[in-house]
Amino acid sequence: MKDILTILKETTDCEYRVNTTKTESYELFFVHKKAETVRSSDSTTRSVTLYADHDGYKGDYSFRVSASDSEARIADKIRAAEKQAKLICNQAYSLPAKETLDCDIPSNFSSLPMSELAAQIAEACFAADTLENGSINALEVFVYRETVTVENSNGLAKREHKYRAMIEAIPTWSENGDSVELYEAHRFTQFDAKSITEEIAEKLREVRDRYHAKKPASSLDVPVVFRAAELANLCNELASDLQYSAVYGKTNLFSKGDVLQKRTDGDPLTLEAKAEVPGSRYSAAFDADGCSLIDTTLVEGGVVQNYFGGTRFAQYLNEPCTGALPCVRLHAGTLTEEELRHTPHLVCASMSGLQLDLYNDYIGGEIRLAYLVEGDKATPITGISVSGKLSDALASLRLSSDETTKGNYYGPDKGLCRGLKIF
Amino acid sequence: MPFSPFLDAQRPYLRALIGALSDSFPYVSVLGTDVRAKQFLVNRNSSSVRDNGMLTQCGFVVKLHDGKCFREYSFDSTELPPEELAKKILSAVTLSPSLEGETIVCPVPADEPLCKSFVRESDFDSYADEDILAFAAKLKDETLAADAHVLNAIVVVSPCTVDKLFLSKRRELDQHYGWCNSMLIAIYRDGKTVQVREDVNSHRMADIFANLPAKRERLLEKAKKLVTAKPIEPGVYDIITDSSITGLIAHEAFGHGVEMDQFVKDRALAKSYMGKYVASPITNMRDGAAATLSVASYFFDDDGVEAQDTQIIKDGILVAGISDLVSASQLGTRPTGNGRRENFAHKAYTRMTNTFFEKGDSKLEDMIASVKHGYMLFETNNGMEDPKNWQIQCTAEYGIEIVDGKLTDNYVSPVVISGSVPELLSSISMVSDCEEIHGSGFCGKGYKEWVPVSDGGPALKARAKLA
Repeated sequence: MKDILTILKETTDCEYRVNTTKTESYELFFVHKKAETVRSSDSTTRSVTLYADHDGYKGDYSFRVSASDSEARIADKIRAAEKQAKLICNQAYSLPAKETLDCDIPSNFSSLPMSELAAQIAEACFAADTLENGSINALEVFVYRETVTVENSNGLAKREHKYRAMIEAIPTWSENGDSVELYEAHRFTQFDAKSITEEIAEKLREVRDRYHAKKPASSLDVPVVFRAAELANLCNELASDLQYSAVYGKTNLFSKGDVLQKRTDGDPLTLEAKAEVPGSRYSAAFDADGCSLIDTTLVEGGVVQNYFGGTRFAQYLNEPCTGALPCVRLHAGTLTEEELRHTPHLVCASMSGLQLDLYNDYIGGEIRLAYLVEGDKATPITGISVSGKLSDALASLRLSSDETTKGNYYGPDKGLCRGLKIF
Repeated sequence: MPFSPFLDAQRPYLRALIGALSDSFPYVSVLGTDVRAKQFLVNRNSSSVRDNGMLTQCGFVVKLHDGKCFREYSFDSTELPPEELAKKILSAVTLSPSLEGETIVCPVPADEPLCKSFVRESDFDSYADEDILAFAAKLKDETLAADAHVLNAIVVVSPCTVDKLFLSKRRELDQHYGWCNSMLIAIYRDGKTVQVREDVNSHRMADIFANLPAKRERLLEKAKKLVTAKPIEPGVYDIITDSSITGLIAHEAFGHGVEMDQFVKDRALAKSYMGKYVASPITNMRDGAAATLSVASYFFDDDGVEAQDTQIIKDGILVAGISDLVSASQLGTRPTGNGRRENFAHKAYTRMTNTFFEKGDSKLEDMIASVKHGYMLFETNNGMEDPKNWQIQCTAEYGIEIVDGKLTDNYVSPVVISGSVPELLSSISMVSDCEEIHGSGFCGKGYKEWVPVSDGGPALKARAKLA
């Protein structure tokens, strides 16, 4: 069978883009440390976007091509897409020019078969299961090998090969007939058995603390410390507001020059959108259009500096194309462990999910496990919520000097906010 | 439109594959999926039509039982001869030697004979893409013109046609149905900027065309109120939930808690509450693809089990859970038709479908009149379950303060409901006599495995912690 580019060239004069992701996976599902299901997959997702220039506009239409589509069926889809694209009247823009790239996102996964790697990841998780009343009563291990390709009618052809893995573990603590659990999702691109064991062991200690945690007898009025997961959530929310597409669509709340952080005693907020951050599965060399990714400072010293985004909306706004940068980096601050030791505070160890609403200036959420830290004493607490004004939280945000990766985020592992109500 | 010609043509190939694998496995089934989903999006200055990547899929998954545990293989190419694909599958689902002997042991699933085709017609083929784009553009223009404070108006129409084929040694099922979600969104600035939305969901495009424009006025009225909204003073209040928040509570508070794959993992407190009161005696709750007509109303699930209507809570007592094939095999129960996959390349888990509280006999106006000071809560934003510990977090887009039995003009936004599930459900004191099911949502398991679900029900009066 002819390849898709040949069929496109033979069928249409329109510009086009083809995005292909080939994914192979090996997955293990455990219940009470025994394998319940073994899965494997081999599939290819291929999306074709056809662009039609008409009446001074550019229309586009995207469709999926499945592995089972025949040549004739693909040609039919292309002809139909050409008609559909002419229904769309968007401001004109140009596709990225010819450029080629074939790269590997670094990983040590390739040294083992995926089935063996998955087994070793599972063993590393279970190695942490050493506490008498603790257990990992459910564990899912996913190992993926992906090849991501973008090709377009200008001759652009970029390909990257990536590995990634994910663990979903449910650490559980049982005593006297009662038990509690926490949820742990850990994503990584480098296999390090020791760090996985340490990660799970920490979660087992936290679930033990959740079992013993109590609702505070009286209300608390102390600063709140969020961990990297919540800081990542916050940074992604802010970055999302500063995308070219949001600016063009007038859905952005903040504009260049806006003081996003009216500082009181907080560290100055500096936020970058980035192509890669260490160990993140979201790191990439190019975006869906095939554009190279250019790291961009979005916020510096609490003031909005730049927007970011892909080629189409960059052209509309007459801004530089940074590519759709997939990662965020928050710069480290000045908060030290020593300072925290002298400041009574509440560390949010596990939340149902941080709720953020830029429009309503809101931050809050239910806390499943927190620690009230007073000097060297950390008292586990549960059954509480926090809420407050996002602007107040940003104004007072102190950021740790220690940094970590969480999802697509790299930055401080702790952030201290004042003025949040704990109830 | 007829059943997928592609899937139809694969029947002999898949039969041969089942035959080739049956030498090694006592249970073999194949699910074929061909889901075609589009998204039409029009806003102030751009528009698009594209395949909806979240739903569009075409591929297969083989489910095997080796006499002890389950194995699965997902694929989308049928280029290899069936015998060769069978060999590839055997190799791909092999366990590392270090884990051999470390598997669960559960019975081979029953493979009861059934051959049946299911069809629910939709009218999507009567509407050309041009028609849908023109409808969306007109509604966008009318919304922008209706109020100078509207910065942007966005119309999204997402029709989806589902074809699935299930084959095993003794079963051959196919189903064909459609569903369409639509949404009108306005970005509105009057001092403060707010984003408001209204949606209409149906298996008929005609309903979308008729009913979404009718919601424009309500959308803009809501925007005018929400720019005045203030944060709520955190505390414990009497609440009245609209049907959307009722559905969110049903889904998060109890739906996840009765997914029986969580029973197998000892992750659900509900397991030990079967036959016991878990809610006030006026509370009744159901789940099922056959329980109502909405986005999750299929005819058979991704394990080839026919759709059902499961009563979960009856008069406040927990009476049943929901299950997929694997969890039912392990628990020795009959599966309830709740085995669902995000797509063919993902595992099937026990998942909710259409989950809702049943209506009662109170009038909404009487419920509001009974509140001295509290809030009526509207519109789901999101929620998070905690089936082991029965904690809940649900976020409503906004609330309206009730004072001395009357709704005021005081809007609060957003509103987070949190606390203990039993406390919340046992505090339900009134249930309205009208109900609505909302079919535009997606539900994750943990933070992944997204499937379309609906939820809803009547208005409930309860007491809850708000922030």
